[in-house]
Amino acid sequence: MKKYLKITPEGTKDFLFAECSAMDDICGKIEQVFVTRGFKKVITPGIEFYDVFSVPCSGISQEEMFKLTDNKGRLLVARPDSTLPIARMVSSRLKSSLLPVRLYYKQAVYRNQPTLTGRRTEFMQMGVELVGAQGLRADLEILTTAISAVSAVASDFRIELGHAEVFDALADGLDIDGEYKEKIRVSIESKNYSALNNLLDKLEPSKSVAAIRKLPSLFGGEEVIEQAAHICEGTNAQSALEYLHTLYKNLSTLGLGDKVIIDLGLVQRNDYYTGFVFAGYINGIGDAVITGGRYDKLLSEFDAPMGAAGFAIDTDAVTILRLSDDNVSYSDNPDVLVFACDGAEMKAIEAVAKLNAEGKKARFSVLPTLEETKAFAAARGIAEVISVGEEEE
Amino acid sequence: MKPLRIALTKGRLEKTTVELLEKIGYNCDEVRNKGRRLILPVGDNDFEVVLAKAADVITYVEHGVCDLGVVGKDTILENGSSFYELLDLNFGKCRFALATKKDSDFYGGYNTKTIATKYPNVTRAFFDDKNMDVRIIKIEGSVELAPLVGLSDGIVDIVETGSTLKANGLEVIEWVTDISARLIANTASLKLRKKEIEALQKKLEAVTQ
Repeated sequence: MKKYLKITPEGTKDFLFAECSAMDDICGKIEQVFVTRGFKKVITPGIEFYDVFSVPCSGISQEEMFKLTDNKGRLLVARPDSTLPIARMVSSRLKSSLLPVRLYYKQAVYRNQPTLTGRRTEFMQMGVELVGAQGLRADLEILTTAISAVSAVASDFRIELGHAEVFDALADGLDIDGEYKEKIRVSIESKNYSALNNLLDKLEPSKSVAAIRKLPSLFGGEEVIEQAAHICEGTNAQSALEYLHTLYKNLSTLGLGDKVIIDLGLVQRNDYYTGFVFAGYINGIGDAVITGGRYDKLLSEFDAPMGAAGFAIDTDAVTILRLSDDNVSYSDNPDVLVFACDGAEMKAIEAVAKLNAEGKKARFSVLPTLEETKAFAAARGIAEVISVGEEEE
Repeated sequence: MKPLRIALTKGRLEKTTVELLEKIGYNCDEVRNKGRRLILPVGDNDFEVVLAKAADVITYVEHGVCDLGVVGKDTILENGSSFYELLDLNFGKCRFALATKKDSDFYGGYNTKTIATKYPNVTRAFFDDKNMDVRIIKIEGSVELAPLVGLSDGIVDIVETGSTLKANGLEVIEWVTDISARLIANTASLKLRKKEIEALQKKLEAVTQ
């Protein structure tokens, strides 16, 4: 039988040295933002019951989940997301705590991916959840936290803002079933104008149909709100649009200019999100690195109805980008290698500690001879070798 | 800033796309005289063209190493997942069809049917919609051969004129879907470089619709 002894499963990887330093650096900066904003850390189990993720609005398909069974034959999954476990936790362990609660996490999630696409099946995510609060203040707290977190690790980014109710309100005005609505949603999500037009051409012309036809192209600055207001006038989407405008106007006081844009075609996981939604992009990464929004229905699935909003950041993607930046170095090569002659080992170790305390990067040589230590230093590009003990004299 | 990078499907789609680009005023001499090069500048370095196999166009765009791509709807249906499909370019038109040997009763009987195809995902989705269990066998070359030698009951394949089918005693019993060339965009690129991409999209729209 072939043994898979020396390789890791597809979509996973080892992180070595500079990769870890870069990851710690990125995560540390984000963590500092979260902590400063008053979010408290939680860790949930790496494996959970399948039921936690199969609630109706979870938006995670069973194909994506890695499954296993426990010792009673019950179905478990390797955590594919952190928000659902946190909803479970809040609804049970924090049931009687003072609301709202601010939580953050930094943990890996696992998603099965189509083979040979180069996508990661295990990736680190950091995110926050603000549970038990609704309204403008809560939404602005989440959005500004997200913007601070992204600003802490990247300068060239875009945050795009949408609202789940815009599409929902428009689609509910049509005489279509859930399946047809989903087809329309998918074609908006992928900005597939031709598929969307085909679907809408089959429907009775109406104000809502005309508005939906325009949704995928409605992204950009404040002008988008005006265009949309014009198109959606008299439909149920109006109040969501007005709210979006309020959010946008508030965020514009941050002076980020075109880094914050509106996208009314942002309809990802529309059964999960109930209010504002947003995604963040960083130049150099081909996918959204941050996604989030308001999900007021989810906690009801755990019998604890209350509003909640949050977001998750794909920190691995940011780490990979940082490592490809030639201007950033995570080299930890020491300045000095300290060799101990026989019997002087403890003396040398003390010398290393003293050098480090003085701010010089020193390491204790564990090689048996001075010659080998010198050869190693030369090969690694370590400038200086100090010998401690009798040969010194 | 780097020029926009567009991945083109090598072959016929590439030729027509180059003609379109010239029509909207971009100098494509470098692409026409490409020799063995795979990355070529267009116009006054307005953008770069990359030449790739159809499925690879999608891969390059999905991973964001190319901002835009021109690829057939057939490839999108078979391989696609997350990118924006911006424009139907209205060329490279053909259709997916289910074909069988002439006068055979494909939907009759209770036995599970076998389908040979180069497009297993398209085939799977088509029969899933009908709630029909079929056995799918992936074939790399001339799919028409499979029903003739008795490997399958039918085929799902791209049909342009239908003459290959006819010459081999096969007939189309159902059209699966229409196909044409599409302009696709990486999701992040469209957000980060909206103006450039929309300008190009508008120009292409004007000459293809």
